[in-house]
Amino acid sequence: MNGVIKRYRVMALAAGVMSLLLWFVELPVVYLLDNPDLAGKVKWIPFVHGYVYAFYVLAAIHFTARARFTIKRMILFILAGTLPVASFIAERRVMREFPLK
Amino acid sequence: MKRTNSVVRQSALNRIGLGLVVISLCGAFIRLGFWQLDRAADLKELQKPYVEQPVIPLTDVAAPSLNLSDSAINRIVTFSGRYVAQFDAPGQSDKSGVIKTWLVGLLEVNGGGAILVVRSADQTSAANEIPKGEVEVQGRLLVRQFEDRAEKKSDQLSRLDPSLLLGMYDLPVFDGYVVAQSERVDGKALTLARVQVDPAKPSVPGYYWQHISYVVIWWLMALVVLFLPFYSRKRKSESRGEGELV
Repeated sequence: MNGVIKRYRVMALAAGVMSLLLWFVELPVVYLLDNPDLAGKVKWIPFVHGYVYAFYVLAAIHFTARARFTIKRMILFILAGTLPVASFIAERRVMREFPLK
Repeated sequence: MKRTNSVVRQSALNRIGLGLVVISLCGAFIRLGFWQLDRAADLKELQKPYVEQPVIPLTDVAAPSLNLSDSAINRIVTFSGRYVAQFDAPGQSDKSGVIKTWLVGLLEVNGGGAILVVRSADQTSAANEIPKGEVEVQGRLLVRQFEDRAEKKSDQLSRLDPSLLLGMYDLPVFDGYVVAQSERVDGKALTLARVQVDPAKPSVPGYYWQHISYVVIWWLMALVVLFLPFYSRKRKSESRGEGELV
């Protein structure tokens, strides 16, 4: 179980960081600033976020299934990767409920 | 016995309901994946250089009061008619990025309707004068502009958009506008410095690998939806097994 939790934590932190970058860097640069050069520099963010989120979903399903969470909780964990701070909160809760041995 | 039958019926209905929800969600996620796949393909298509197509009469690809079709955009079209008005369109940028005031005529097309024609970027007297008589125009048909380039005034166009003329003239207008490459007045070529523009590129927001990553996510979601009922059943049977053991 320790390995599953560690994988989930890593992916939750990565998905959280990528969501923060997407919401507060890439989207404002592309849609609020009229600066194609800067927009070109942040174009890696959305697609890295996309792949990180896909791996986050797999890690979340693996962890919640092993922890025998309800379907509702599993769905909430999956959705947590889409909001900037939700995956950090989920990761903290996991650490409280399942402290690493 | 009756109660058992109703419980069985209820359970069957629940299963059918759940099945329908799973199929609908799964179908929606798969469709969203294909939508992103199409957007990725569109982006790739846009990166290819534009291939010029043969010159075609305007009325073969467009009609007054109808939106321009995708296939009509960028076509080199020919048409003839008479100019009924001319406007200044300030703040317009050509292919080199030079911003000037363009002269834009409203031409009543033979056969019905009127269309905006970008005639020149030169404010010379020859250009300023509206040609009298029958004018044959050849030029590139472009999609209307959506953002203002200048202030709204009665004698100028804030953007190249035929909807700005609605109510001013009693003519149905063609969507979009034409950047003239040549004009012939009563058979004589009119020499004006023409505006040079690149073919319009329809924009698809985002990047190729970004859309592909969303394809992965939507299809992964479809798999998750398929997996959840099995997970739920496994979880229930495990709980029942533990109950029996206790």
